[in-house]
Amino acid sequence: MPGGIAFEFPQLYFTAFWVTIQLSILGLLSALIIGTVVAVMRVSPFAPLRWIGAAYVEFFRNTPLVVQLFFLFLGLPLVGFRFSTDTFEHIFRGAAIGMGLYHGAYVAEVVRGGLLGVDRGQIEAARSLGLSYPQMLLYVQLPQTFRSVIPPLANIGIALVKNTSLASTIGVTELLFAAEIVESRTFRAQEAFIAAALLYLALTIPLGIAVNALERRMLVVR
Amino acid sequence: MFLDPAIWGFFFEGLRETIYLALVSVALSFVVGLLFALGRLSRRRWIRWPSIFYIEAVRALPVLLLIVYFFINGSALFRPIFGADFELPTFWAGVLGLSMYSSAVLAEIIRAGIVSLPRGQTEAARALGLSHAQTMRSVILPQALRLMVPAVMAQLTTVIKDTSLVGTIGIFELLRQGRTIYTQFFNPVEVLLIVATIYFVICFSLSLASRRLELGYVPKAARIKIQDIALRDQAA
Repeated sequence: MPGGIAFEFPQLYFTAFWVTIQLSILGLLSALIIGTVVAVMRVSPFAPLRWIGAAYVEFFRNTPLVVQLFFLFLGLPLVGFRFSTDTFEHIFRGAAIGMGLYHGAYVAEVVRGGLLGVDRGQIEAARSLGLSYPQMLLYVQLPQTFRSVIPPLANIGIALVKNTSLASTIGVTELLFAAEIVESRTFRAQEAFIAAALLYLALTIPLGIAVNALERRMLVVR
Repeated sequence: MFLDPAIWGFFFEGLRETIYLALVSVALSFVVGLLFALGRLSRRRWIRWPSIFYIEAVRALPVLLLIVYFFINGSALFRPIFGADFELPTFWAGVLGLSMYSSAVLAEIIRAGIVSLPRGQTEAARALGLSHAQTMRSVILPQALRLMVPAVMAQLTTVIKDTSLVGTIGIFELLRQGRTIYTQFFNPVEVLLIVATIYFVICFSLSLASRRLELGYVPKAARIKIQDIALRDQAA
């Protein structure tokens, strides 16, 4: 059976699978938070905020994630930002932040598109009703963007699940790392990697199908 | 130490390797991607289904998994063809991993381009007596590929970013060269900033160019499709 090797090393594979899931969820949550904040900065009426937001997005989108992860782990501790890299927990948390920073830039672009898509009349009506700018954002502009941005955000989620494999380069024992360990113990490369591939597919394929279904329903809205 | 021209030569060697890897991978994956895009649009089921399977499975996998797989198992994979003592060069293991992933993405991009053309194009060509293959070759593909040039350029930036992953299997591209430098001089902050800046300059100018470039009208549905491919399949 393809992937049967996972049941010979359940401790490695399924623990690692769970780490991948956790990393994806934590990464996605931080990406959503960072992305929304940056998107709001990018549409704010205050120009310097817009510039900072644009610089953030372009920098994080146009440099490789591995470089960012290495920077987070080797660079920052040397200039005084110590999140200790001694325990697995800490490395894991750092990796989740790295995922959030990188994908946050993509989330920001998507949410910005959604914010700009909200009818201007809505914003003007809210302001003339006496809502302050933050109130207007919170109660009028942001809620209306969510519907249209769900499919693209789910696409970013799929990318994020796949990109968690890069955390193996800084020592997070996620799925790919587990496959490499099993391969080095058994020399059954084919089986070891197919098992990992199947577990990745078990996450990304259902997500992909869900996104396609969502998109077909929302194409009209976007 | 950054005044030493040898250090910059070292970076430059890595950069050359990075660009070389990216260009070879994109060229290879464009050809393969085109074949799979046509396969997915084929009317014959035994061509269409395997193409769908390949595209959907490969673009749902992490590119690093493919790279590490070809590095570890690539030689064994080709031994039945090239003889028992064949060793896949590391460079080509990297190229295979990168282009396998990229071919699935490009296949989707090209397909989006083909589908976005108005149906009338195909119908007119067929009514003029062109065969299906002739219609594709001389009517549909020239138009569709032209529309998709910006998207393919965007994919090139993604591949350039992805080449940073093949350092893990021992190809001396830009990031790997940087790592060698900072393990020698113990200055990861400076070196990684320089490496990131080099990547940024290349990728940012490419993505600006691809955003500016407009080679014709792309319908809204196709634009959304391309945006989704870009979001879902941008690897690292």
